[in-house]
Order: sequence, then C-alpha cells, then structure tokens
Amino acid sequence: MSSPTPTLSMRDALYETPGPRTRRRVRIGTAITAVVVLLGIAAVVRQFYVTGQLAPRYWSLFLQWTTWRFLGQGLLGTVSVALTAGAISLVLGLLLMLGRTSGVRPLAALCRVVTDFFRGVPSLLLIYFLFFVPAQLGVKMPPFWMLTLPVALAAAGVLAEVFRAGVNAVPKGQVEAALSIGLSPAQTMRKIVLPQAVRYVIPSLIAQLVVVVKDTTVAYVVSFPDLMQNARVLITSYDALVSMYLVIALVYILINFAINKAAVYVSRRTGAKIIR
Amino acid sequence: MGLSELLSTYGDKYLQGLLATWSMTAVSFVFVMALAVLVTVARVSPYGPLRLVGDLYVQVFRNIPGVALLIIIAYALPELRIVLDWRTCVIVTTVLLGSAFGSENFMSGINTISVGQIEAARSIGLSFTQIVRKIVIPQALRTTVLPMTNLLIAVMLTTALGSQVPLNPQELTGVVSYVNTRATGGVLAFLVSALGYALSALAISFVGNRLDKRVRILR
Repeated sequence: MSSPTPTLSMRDALYETPGPRTRRRVRIGTAITAVVVLLGIAAVVRQFYVTGQLAPRYWSLFLQWTTWRFLGQGLLGTVSVALTAGAISLVLGLLLMLGRTSGVRPLAALCRVVTDFFRGVPSLLLIYFLFFVPAQLGVKMPPFWMLTLPVALAAAGVLAEVFRAGVNAVPKGQVEAALSIGLSPAQTMRKIVLPQAVRYVIPSLIAQLVVVVKDTTVAYVVSFPDLMQNARVLITSYDALVSMYLVIALVYILINFAINKAAVYVSRRTGAKIIR
Repeated sequence: MGLSELLSTYGDKYLQGLLATWSMTAVSFVFVMALAVLVTVARVSPYGPLRLVGDLYVQVFRNIPGVALLIIIAYALPELRIVLDWRTCVIVTTVLLGSAFGSENFMSGINTISVGQIEAARSIGLSFTQIVRKIVIPQALRTTVLPMTNLLIAVMLTTALGSQVPLNPQELTGVVSYVNTRATGGVLAFLVSALGYALSALAISFVGNRLDKRVRILR
C-alpha cells in the first residue's frame, strides 16, 4: 500500500508493522475519513453555490488580463516593501546583536531593551506610530516608508535574536583560540565568529522573510498600493469581495509557502537549523 | 499632551484596552492549544486523508497573513451567510493562525523523541495507547514549553488585528488609533500601549523560562 520512506519519521515509527486485521481497520478508517473530508468540501462548495458566490460574474474578472496586471503592480509594491524592509532589518538586527554582545554594559543593556521592545510590540502598533506621529510633528513621510520602516523595525528585533543564536552556535573554543593568538575581540568577532554565525542563520533569515511579507499586508492603513490594497480597489470596482479575497489569500499563501520551502531547502543543504 | 493629561483623559480606555487584549489572548490561547492538539493528532493518525487535511491546514494558516484571514472571516464569510460578531472574528482568526504554529511546535516536540525509545517501549510490551500516553506526550509537552511560551506572546501580538474591526471595548492597538484620531497623542500615546504589550510579553517569557528550566529534559 504505502512505499517505505527512506527516513523513518516519528509519525511512522509510532506504528508497528500492521497485521492483516489492523491493515483492514486502517483501510476502513481511511475510507471513512476520506468520505468525511469529501463531505466537508461538498458542504463548503454548496454554501458557495447557495449564496450565489459561484456565479460567473464573481469569477470572470480573473480571466481578464487587466485584473492580473493591476494585481501584479500591487505585488511589485509588496515585493519592494518586503525586500527593502528585509534589507534594513538585516543591518539593524546585526547592529543590535553586535551592541548586545559588545561587552560594553550600557550599550548592551540599551540594545537588549530595544530588541525586546520591538519583539514584544505588534507591528500594527508600529505602523500606526509611523502613520500618526511624524505627521503630528510636521514631518511628511511617503506611504512607502510609513509601511517599510515599522515592518523593518519589528523584523530587526527578531533578527537580532536570530543572529545572537548564530553567534552562540559558534564553539567557544574558537573564540578563546582567536583571542589567545592575539586577535582583538573586535577582530575575533569580524573574522572568526561572524562569518560562521551568518552562514549558520541564513535559512532562518529566509524563513523570517515570511513574517515580513505578512506584515506588509496592512499597507492599506497607510494607503500604500500593495497587493492587498490593489485587491481592495478591484473589489470596489467589480463588487467581487469573496472571490477576490480568496484569490489574494491564495497568492499570499503560495508566496510564503515558496519562501518557507526555500528556507527548508537551504537548511537541509547546509545542515543549519531554522531558528524562529 | 503630557502623560498626566493623557492618562486622565484616556486612562480608562487604555485600561479597558489592556484587559481586552489580555482576555482575547487568554481565550484564544486556550482554543489554540485545543485545536493544535486535534490537528497534531490528525497529522500523526494512520489515516491518509486526515494526515493530508492536517498538513494542509498547517500550511494554509502558517502562510496566510493575519489581516487577509481576518478580512475573509469578518467580511467574506457574511456573504456566505456565516455572521460572527467582531470579537469572535478576531478570536477565530487568532486561533486559526496560532493553532497551525502550535501544531508545528507539537510535531517538532514529538520528533525530538528518538525512534529507539518507541522501539524499546514496544519491545517491553507497551500498547500503542500506552506508548503515546506514557512516552510520547509527556516528553513532547516538556520540550514544547519554551516554543509555546513564544506562541503565547505571538497570540497576544496577533490580537492587535482587533484594531482593524470595530471592537467594543477596543484592544490596546485600537485604543491608540482611537486616541490619535481625536487628539495629538504623540509618542506618549503609543508608548503607553507599547509598554502594555512589551511588559506583558516580558512577564510571559519570564514565567515560561522558569517553567522550562523546571521541566526541560536534558539530553
């Protein structure tokens, strides 16, 4: 029935090699659950049908090239915000980590507070902050930065911890060896620890991009034209709320799924664990 | 606006906001844990379709942005004649998102147990339910204390989505946008809410770390 998998996962190890009776029971169980799942899907489709949501006028807009072009423009906005925020958070996260591990007491304490703060505050709150406060102080900020900065700050807090885990993963003996051959602490960090730590956290950094992409979804708060905001525009012009939100959600899910898969792939190849 | 003025005008709002955030977090987390257990059971069950649904569930809710899910639940479901009140919408969103991550935590907790232990248990004659009850669950629970602590904090931060729907009472993030649309709250208005979150997170991780130290399995 099932072919033996090369790596025995815990899922499978839990079960003994089934005898004839258990095999029959599993077959019956599989059939029952399959029916239940199919019934569930049928119920969902039925609800769509009964409420008229399957009507072609809700779905035909996805056959038009202009729809996808407009959504594509939004996606471009999402990608540019995500990549910019990602780049900023990399630098900030690294700086926060370096400050925290610098050994200079006041600096370390400050970096620790800043890291914990950005990790412990919802990104939405930070977005509202950049939406309201600069304007109140008379600073005019483009929507792009009202979105990118808070997303970057929230990610920087997390990345600082990821980097720190990477630094901690470098064996202590190497630091001692480096110091004993006369390298300064700064040189040790730059030449011995960081190169290894960064390599170690690369899969985690990729995985963290998912969080950044998710955080950009509230772009409509600052009315920046990202994928979600453009979808909302299309909804008002086509009056196709359910279909549009479902399609958009699927697009986001696929993007993030791909990023996660990439992270797992790199993690498998390098043998470095994904830290969350 | 100074701190005293801010607190005398909006102090009640902030307090209600903090309590709303806490209560939504607590309610959500209970359901997150329950659903995470169910999903994990489905994923390790011997039935193919159930495993598939469990895996799909996790992939969908791990990868969907919170706002997208909230909008679907709050605005798309009514068109399918499923109407929930605003607070329930936020909680359902949080629970769906959180339980996917919770199930991932449980799965990696289960995976830290070595296959040899299961083989050993089987060879001394333990039944399947005994293996699950006495070997797998206790160890999986003990290794997931720290990830679940982080999940609880994440659940709290996710309830900030409540600011996107008209909640009453509003939660901490909603309060800030409420204050700022009425007055020039400035940095301070945000700091009050932010401290509410950050200090709660600090308290949660303090307790979680203490608990983890007591129950962690040293390997």
